[in-house]
Amino acid sequence: MASSSISKAESAYIEVGLSEQPPQRLDGRALTDYRAMSLETGTAPLANGSARLTIGRNPHDGSGGTEILAATKLEVETNEDGGSDQGRVVCSVTCSPAAYPHLSSNALEDLQHDLTTVIHTTLSHPSLHPDNLKIIPGKKSWLLSLDLVILSDAGNIYDALFMAARAALWDTKVPRTRFIEYKAKKGGPASGGKGRDGMDVDETATSGFDTRKTNHATDFELLDYWDEGEVLDGRERWPLCVTFNLVPKTHFLDATQVEEAVAVLKVLFIFASSSVQGMRMLGPGEVTSAQIKSLLKEAETHSRNISSALDSKLKDEDVRRNQKASEAFSQQRR
Amino acid sequence: MVEITIRKRPRSEAVVTQRKFFKKTARGKVIKVLRERYLRDDVGCGIQSCQECTESCTPQANHLVMSGPDHGLFPDGHFLLPDTNVFLSQMDLLESPLFRPPIILLQTVIEEVRHRSLPLYNRLKALMAMDEKSIWVFYNEYRSETAVIREENETPNDRNDRGIRKAAAWYTTHLNTNVRGKAPKKPPTIVLLTEDAANRQKAEKDGLVTLSVRKYVEAMNDASQLLDLLASESEEIEPTRAASGKQFLYDEYLPSATLIGGVKAGQLHQGHFNANQYNYLEGSVSVPAFSKPVLLIGRENMNRATNGDIVVVEVFPEDEWKAPADEVVDQDSTLKNDDVESGDEDDGEDLVARVESKVVEYEKRDAEKQPTGKVVGVIKRLWRPYVCHIDSTSLTSSNATSLSVQTVFATPVSRLLPRIRMRTRQAPSLIGQKILVSIDRWDVTSRYPEGHFVRALGKVESKEAEQESLLLEFDVPYRPFGKAILDCLPKEGEQWVVPQKSDASPEWRDRQDLRDLNICSIDPPGCQDIDDALHARLLPNGNIEAGVHIADVSHFVHADTPMDNEAASRGTTVYLVDKRIDMLPALLGTNLCSLRPFVERLAFSAIWEMTPDADIVNVRFTKSVIASKAAFTYEEAQIRKDDANQKDALTEGIRLLNTIAIKLKAKRMAAGALNLASPEVKIHLDSSESSDPIDVEQKEMRETNSLVEEFMLLANISVAQKIQETFPQTAVLRRHMPPPKTNFEKLQDILMKRKGLALDVSSSGALAASLDKCLDPTEPAFNTLVRIMATRCMLSAEYFCSGSVARDTFGHYGLASPIYTHFTSPIRRYADVLAHRQLSAAIGYSPLHPSLHSKPHVERILGVVNKRHRMAQMAGRASVEFYVGLALKGREERVQKSGAGAVTEEAFVIRTFRNGLGVFVSSLGIEGLVMFKKDLQFDAENYTLSIPKPGSADLVAISVFDKVTVRIEVEKDKNTQRGRVKMTLLSPVDSKDM
Repeated sequence: MASSSISKAESAYIEVGLSEQPPQRLDGRALTDYRAMSLETGTAPLANGSARLTIGRNPHDGSGGTEILAATKLEVETNEDGGSDQGRVVCSVTCSPAAYPHLSSNALEDLQHDLTTVIHTTLSHPSLHPDNLKIIPGKKSWLLSLDLVILSDAGNIYDALFMAARAALWDTKVPRTRFIEYKAKKGGPASGGKGRDGMDVDETATSGFDTRKTNHATDFELLDYWDEGEVLDGRERWPLCVTFNLVPKTHFLDATQVEEAVAVLKVLFIFASSSVQGMRMLGPGEVTSAQIKSLLKEAETHSRNISSALDSKLKDEDVRRNQKASEAFSQQRR
Repeated sequence: MVEITIRKRPRSEAVVTQRKFFKKTARGKVIKVLRERYLRDDVGCGIQSCQECTESCTPQANHLVMSGPDHGLFPDGHFLLPDTNVFLSQMDLLESPLFRPPIILLQTVIEEVRHRSLPLYNRLKALMAMDEKSIWVFYNEYRSETAVIREENETPNDRNDRGIRKAAAWYTTHLNTNVRGKAPKKPPTIVLLTEDAANRQKAEKDGLVTLSVRKYVEAMNDASQLLDLLASESEEIEPTRAASGKQFLYDEYLPSATLIGGVKAGQLHQGHFNANQYNYLEGSVSVPAFSKPVLLIGRENMNRATNGDIVVVEVFPEDEWKAPADEVVDQDSTLKNDDVESGDEDDGEDLVARVESKVVEYEKRDAEKQPTGKVVGVIKRLWRPYVCHIDSTSLTSSNATSLSVQTVFATPVSRLLPRIRMRTRQAPSLIGQKILVSIDRWDVTSRYPEGHFVRALGKVESKEAEQESLLLEFDVPYRPFGKAILDCLPKEGEQWVVPQKSDASPEWRDRQDLRDLNICSIDPPGCQDIDDALHARLLPNGNIEAGVHIADVSHFVHADTPMDNEAASRGTTVYLVDKRIDMLPALLGTNLCSLRPFVERLAFSAIWEMTPDADIVNVRFTKSVIASKAAFTYEEAQIRKDDANQKDALTEGIRLLNTIAIKLKAKRMAAGALNLASPEVKIHLDSSESSDPIDVEQKEMRETNSLVEEFMLLANISVAQKIQETFPQTAVLRRHMPPPKTNFEKLQDILMKRKGLALDVSSSGALAASLDKCLDPTEPAFNTLVRIMATRCMLSAEYFCSGSVARDTFGHYGLASPIYTHFTSPIRRYADVLAHRQLSAAIGYSPLHPSLHSKPHVERILGVVNKRHRMAQMAGRASVEFYVGLALKGREERVQKSGAGAVTEEAFVIRTFRNGLGVFVSSLGIEGLVMFKKDLQFDAENYTLSIPKPGSADLVAISVFDKVTVRIEVEKDKNTQRGRVKMTLLSPVDSKDM
């Protein structure tokens, strides 16, 4: 993000350092090194899923770095209010004014809008849509709102946003519901509601010839009001972003804010698993298609690395929050 | 100072300290709720002589004393720790004064009870407040040792059970270390009481002492009395009987979520179940979707609904619709041979089924078909303790000393309820008694509901038992007023007087001095709570000033005091023939508020200036002080008015009032008010002490009755206008909705076919006019009869809050007034008290209490008052009925002594059935049934029953409105001791042997 203005001398110094052989970065990292990241899930207990992600935070005093808070909230939506059978995913990005003290409120809004567009168009793409946002076919569904708040920006905001979004979505639990219907059967007692468990709606049992079949379910109930629910379907699919910052002759990853000011072009590769989910170029620079091809290959490797690191961290978090905490509790009670 | 330790946990321990759950709101949104919990180490155990908890933070702590050595199993003393299911199923036992072991009540249990059943939770709260019970509430969820967190895949129920077991285990170790019995003795035992066998098993594994309620009670010293209080619990009592062997008599109910879904989708319908009092195999449910109620025919379709339950019905397709039965089916006679034990096997079953299936068969009359359906679920049971008699034929052993458990039938006094099967050890001693029975459950395998004995009320036909059973049956609160309520009365008590007139006196602030006016009261004889007094005088300008003075109850009863709350929950004073159950303490009702003559009293006056034609020039309302000059009965006032020699000011006042009243009434009638009639009779009591009824006569109406009535109506209407103007959102008003036209269809049909008369029901005025034309020159009482029947077709009037309904539904149909309220009897009706407060605020005398500005609050109070009002009327009527029965019995004995045979009365036929006649005896004000053993020739279209003359082939036709003579006997049902009036036809045909 072309945010902080730096002097020409400073900019030249960074640029020269990057094109040195071997390259020199201000903080001594290699071109493809990431700063240290930290991730915590479940930070907002009232949300259905939440995460806090920092990149490059000073481990000693907890200062600096990029910090994102992500949270998902599920709301019941009826089709009349604009819901759809499959449920909807809506994302928004909010920038804390403290993160961008030099921006006017109008500029801040523009920035928010730009970020929101990138995140929303990517994450709400039908190919990523989770299957278990349905409640009652044709009537009600879940509206999944993902809200991302940028608490501070020290560069590489896109990668951070996607990672935080993925962590929050990973953490999201959908309350289990069962729909209520009433079917009058001739000659016998009316049958009760049929339970539905997530995705496995058994379609083979009903005859394909019966085209008149309509669903009479009118309402739903919560199966267990104490239970957080089931995880979002396809939670390992959520995409990650790798941002290449291009300077003449070379490119680098995880730019700090000053480094971003030097980069002429940013290329965003967004990968879900190993397939490209999106690509964006930001900035005045140019890039050839041959260059892109090689960048793409490189990005895939990086994305796979980040993805596996993130997954193992997320699994760690699940264990920490449930199992370990209850063990610690019972230990203390002894 | 006690040190308070509160430990806040870091967020990393959120899983322990935070409780998250989802809630679905009524509007279908799902909300996530988060609760934070702080655990502490100083939640006291509440046990006396506990060394550790004596210093704990609770001030009144440690009062729980261990039980004495009176329980067989626990000679060293014990404490009870009941599980939730004990409160859910055995509340009657816990409430019994005989059951008083020390109880440790866990917070988990309280919360679970609240979650499962609100009425039981309220009873539990009352139980906790009872002085004679020793109960300690232990907040186990907040004590760090006993708190539990839900484990993965654990149901809420399991989690609570685990919490309860954990608390029991903690108590056991806590007692071992901290409470020592005397030297050689062991510490007292903690007994986990639960009905859940699985929970018991787990507890035993953990080394806890645990028992079922039955086992626990059986080992108590006075077990036999308490055992009857136990709810019947199928698994516990008869573990041997295999459930699969039972025949399913009813369909299972649908799950409640499905019901709600079905109702929302409009495929099912929800409403109150009304049993049919003539036919126990038929009931109906009024639902908004149909103009006629949904008919339920037969046991299977009524599917275990009892009168008043909120049920969900499924309506059959239209070609299966039926008409209601035209036959009287009496439960007692049809089911005489049903065996109590036969709930499951037996051939008695088939017999009953056969008899009933015959009864349920209907000829299809297209004209009267109405929606027909079946009950598929019950939203809310309206079960309460019912007054019953024991059916003596259902006893297996009538040996009075036998203490073996027997299953018997209890027949409720109300005809609307099915028989209740219950198990008791005291059956022989309960015969001939009125008893209270509460229903526990009604299984699909059982023809009758199952219940248990609560307590005996006393001998059948003893006044006390009858009176109490009446009050219980109609849910009238009749406990004496408590101390907190009596403390709200003025300290001077009987000596309270209106203080000397002075500017400083708060009583005289803004009050008008009306002590000089010639005010008098006119009431029924023996009236002690005089609400109202009147005056009238000529003004110099030729106009007339008339005043209505109402007891100023709101001066004594202030909003939101214990007395006010009690009055609000009582709603109304209930008048029985020989007893009055007051809404307000007697000191107020019959003394300080009562506008007795010759003493000064505070009043709230409405004073009109009227032209001699009774047109109102203006009206004003004021708080006042009056001194009534006389208290007349209706009769005295009438005599005084008619006596031309009396020329004093008081008499002139009455005459003036009377002339205006006549004009007011004429105006009201012209506006279309109805002159309704209901059978009212008066019971002559021997003397005020013995209260043995001597005879019954119809109430007489005098001119003065109407005089008082007119002025009360006028006052009510004027006040209603005023408070509605001032408080358009929360004014307390009364309305009478116009009845739906369909209500009159049957009466119109009967009148047209039998008498060729037409009834115009298009408006109240038209109805009044056509009622006036319903005359039979040969039968003067015919008109009254039609009026009574028309009254039955109408809806009942109700109180409402002006902001809650549309403005155009405010009207009072019967009085043909656009607006109405109750203002004139604040001593005996709570709605009047509210109207007083609002009027007082409207004239700027006092500020309005905030609660009366709140619409939901007013709606809630009026809901209670409406219900109480209805119940009070029914209780009063039932009381009259009981005394009519007694009087008839007395008359029967006298008649028999004189050798005249039997009591005979003239009666009108009001309903015809295929096998009986509904008759109305106007001289006694009672309705009765004349039953014939066999079906007769019945013409339903023309409401005519043809009865063969004995000894000849001729038929005598009897139709609705015919006058017949009936023989009236009071007979006791041999089995149930239920007294009932039996009528047989004497003329035109003697039906004694039919």
